[in-house]
Amino acid sequence: MKLYVYCLVEGAATLDQPPHGVSNAPVRILPIDDFAVLVSELDNDAVPLTRDNALAHDAVVRSVLDRTTPLPFRFGTLVTAQQLRSYISTRKPALETNLALVRDCVEMSVKIIWTVLNDNKRERQPSENEQGAGARFLEERRQKLLGDEQRAAEAAEISGWLRETVSGVVRDERVTVRPSEKLVLAAAYLVERSKIKRFRDKIAEAGTARPKLHFLLSGPWPPYSFANIELEFETRLGVS
Amino acid sequence: MEKIVVIEEWESSDLSLLETLDHVLNRGLVIAGEITIAVADIDLIYVGLNVLVSSVETAHEVLRKRETT
Repeated sequence: MKLYVYCLVEGAATLDQPPHGVSNAPVRILPIDDFAVLVSELDNDAVPLTRDNALAHDAVVRSVLDRTTPLPFRFGTLVTAQQLRSYISTRKPALETNLALVRDCVEMSVKIIWTVLNDNKRERQPSENEQGAGARFLEERRQKLLGDEQRAAEAAEISGWLRETVSGVVRDERVTVRPSEKLVLAAAYLVERSKIKRFRDKIAEAGTARPKLHFLLSGPWPPYSFANIELEFETRLGVS
Repeated sequence: MEKIVVIEEWESSDLSLLETLDHVLNRGLVIAGEITIAVADIDLIYVGLNVLVSSVETAHEVLRKRETT
């Protein structure tokens, strides 16, 4: 018997209407130290990654979001009770610090995508008659590098501008700048519940100010991106 | 040891699901130890690591279609 772990909250928690968890398993609260952990008991050693299970994991974490801000665990966390107790007892100060950071907040997710092709993609390419194969290859490489550099520079500028735009309404942020054909950046913001509307307004204003960009806003989320106690772990890929 | 087994394909048009996947698969507390990812029918790397990009690209397609209709 193992415990599938959804999230950890401060103090005692209650579940008025316990949601179904992964694999349709009942969810219960396990008190450990000064925390409450939402868990399901599972007989299997593997957690199937299905649509229903992914949504169930999120639904369980969200079930306490109205009353408190939980620290979510990553999907697939299946451990023994001893492992869970050991993890919590040895990292109690870090967990308390992390909970204090996210207290009274939710996560808002913003993704920005380009809506127009990069200008230098539209530059006229020399015809085959004008260049040999080698020269054409080098020219294409040059154009690609120029495009990559331009996208990176623009994405960095957009990232800085967005940081200033939302600076007054966010407690923390995790921004990943990924200049690619379509994606400019992906950002997660820790926003106090009382400031969610102001945050949404800021993003709407940003969209108006930069009509060549599309802003994809989602949330509120449990603070998945801010449950970030760094731990050593190893990922292995296998084939079943 | 934790294992994740992929047993079904995803509907790429479901942006809400992809956003959820992006959050639950890539973020959150991780308990120390080994995570073994078992791949069955589809490429878990695509689902687990590039879901962010795929969700954005899908969104882009949705927006493009919306603008042209």
